[in-house]
Amino acid sequence: MSAETIQTIIDDLGALLLFTMILIVAASQISRAIYAVAAQSLFIAIAGAVLATATGNVDLWVIAGVTLAVKATLLPWVLHWVVRRMNVRREVEPVIPIAATLVLAVAVVVMSFHLSASLGSVRQAITGNALPVGIALTLTGVLVMATRKTALSQMVGLFASENGIFFTAMAVTQGMPLIIEIGVILDVILAALVMTIMVLRVRSTVDADIAELDRLRG
Amino acid sequence: MAETLLWVLPLVPTVTALAMLTTRKRRILSGLDVGGSTVLAALTFVLAREVSAGGPRSLGVFRVDELGLVFLLLLVVLTLAVSIYTVGWLKQAVAVGNMKAESLRSYFALVHAFVATMVVTILADNLGVLWIAMEGTTITSAVLIGYHGHRHGLEAAWKYIIVTTIGISFGLFGTVLIYAAAADVMGGAGAMSWSAIMQVAPALDPGIVRIGFIFVMVGYGTKAGLAPMHLWLPDAHSQAPTPVSALLSGVLIKCALLAIIRFQTIAAAACGAAFPQQVLLVFGLISVVVATPFILAQRDIKRLLGYHSVEHVGIVVLGLGFGGAIGTYGALLHVVNHGVTKALAFFAAGTAIARYGSRDMRAIRGLFAVAPIGATFLMLAALSLAGVPPFSIFVSELMVLRAGIGHGHWVAIAIFLAMVVIIFAGLLHHAGAMVFGEPRGAGRKAEAWSPLLAMLLLAAIMVLLGLTIPVSFDTLLRRATEVVVG
Repeated sequence: MSAETIQTIIDDLGALLLFTMILIVAASQISRAIYAVAAQSLFIAIAGAVLATATGNVDLWVIAGVTLAVKATLLPWVLHWVVRRMNVRREVEPVIPIAATLVLAVAVVVMSFHLSASLGSVRQAITGNALPVGIALTLTGVLVMATRKTALSQMVGLFASENGIFFTAMAVTQGMPLIIEIGVILDVILAALVMTIMVLRVRSTVDADIAELDRLRG
Repeated sequence: MAETLLWVLPLVPTVTALAMLTTRKRRILSGLDVGGSTVLAALTFVLAREVSAGGPRSLGVFRVDELGLVFLLLLVVLTLAVSIYTVGWLKQAVAVGNMKAESLRSYFALVHAFVATMVVTILADNLGVLWIAMEGTTITSAVLIGYHGHRHGLEAAWKYIIVTTIGISFGLFGTVLIYAAAADVMGGAGAMSWSAIMQVAPALDPGIVRIGFIFVMVGYGTKAGLAPMHLWLPDAHSQAPTPVSALLSGVLIKCALLAIIRFQTIAAAACGAAFPQQVLLVFGLISVVVATPFILAQRDIKRLLGYHSVEHVGIVVLGLGFGGAIGTYGALLHVVNHGVTKALAFFAAGTAIARYGSRDMRAIRGLFAVAPIGATFLMLAALSLAGVPPFSIFVSELMVLRAGIGHGHWVAIAIFLAMVVIIFAGLLHHAGAMVFGEPRGAGRKAEAWSPLLAMLLLAAIMVLLGLTIPVSFDTLLRRATEVVVG
């Protein structure tokens, strides 16, 4: 594949990633948000595979494989299991209306492109529009975490945010060293595990969503 | 020898943690706890000796220089003190049902796993390993914060894990950007190693490093408890078991500061020292100012100490922001002083809480009449935290102040001084009310020896560093300052 083709593919994948992010922000049901984040991880894995074929970097194949197995399959499955187990009634519980969050998300995307446009010289070393897409995904993920009142939605935001970082790492530097990427994914799995346990524990003791507890103040 | 120690050090607490999973007996667990911490401390002092003789050492992704050594020494001393304190604290906690006797081994194992991850953050030369270990500290300590299992503890743990994980995502993003800048100059291999990046740092693209540093500052700043990202800190510090609070405040937030200092040196080399200093100055000032009203209005003693950590982390960052040899030296000294003093304060507060059965400072009255030794330590810690001479914190605060005056940051100095004076008054008011007066609601039970021993150890260091800084430690701090300032 020529460098231009690669760039086009990565740009297209970037657009798809942003689209899944909008789906996550707009989702009114938690299961839809989980499907959207799974699709997002799938696109990240495809981006990894594309870059791996283009550069012949074997590490990227491993990263793509692990992303597919863990972030596109395992973690969404765990989230779905928790949803069923908790018998979630109230779904997403936004702090501010979803429409307002969408407007903020668009602002974040515009700002990210603006920010990386100011980086003139550096951007030439970077594949296409990967950097602004990465920044936008990371920040929007944080936005989702900050504007949702339920634990599971916050976890979805976290995974989306991590996806943004992975995409940036892949596109900007052909991936961080393999061992580091594996370590990062391992951390994400462990964090998800601990969060899941906490969510279930609170649900079983006080029948409330852990993210809604708000006794500690001042 | 020294190189071998680099990978042995993180293994010591790991092996201790694994060994703890094999038994359920409290005495054996406490023995392993103190034993493991002692071995860790002894090996660290050997390493310190080697480094002072032969300079920085590195092995694979690990590296130790004088800067890391300052933090490592603080870690091992506090870990040892925490282990000694835990012996007596645990006995009491099990007796009143705060800790369940049958699940003690997982508590101890988690504490040592937490220590192991912190050791790795200090020894990591590879910035990716630094990040992974930092997220590791979040995971292990989140479980510890919610360990009591009641809803407040779990609420604090959830807030902690969510806020710091968001924060640290920013840290990873910043790391990736700086890695990209470095890989651009030197190619992919080794571009994540701090020491390798430092060699090419002046050639890095300043634009991308600037954005990277801001991401890192927000990221690791969250973990360090800098305002306005400090939201998790008072909750976590107040809800965690007391020994864990001491580790969080004394060591963990200092590890995050070390990460910030590492990136500060990269940013200073790539875009000039002024840029990272300005960023640090802003965060430092916000932290000092934000913490003040909460300290004054606080009723929960452990939350008070938590907000106090926000203030002191702010002072450290101010010292780094004022910069120069004096500011940096003062900041590093303040890291050690605050770590030791805050752990002492948490220990003293923990025993008082156990005696009165409440964290509310209005319920704790006349401590001196019922527990004179513990009350003395609490008063000493409060005086030191407030910045009274001749205690150690006074010395380092003075250095930070002098650095600020030397560089003509008059506005920052004025704000800093005003806040320190207000906090001084507030803290002494709180401490005086607890220590003096008529005791009520507390028995005159004899004070347990092990918490007192741990407090004595820390108080001795606190007083010593206030009166004089030993030559060997002074040399270490000077060399560490050179690592930062160049």
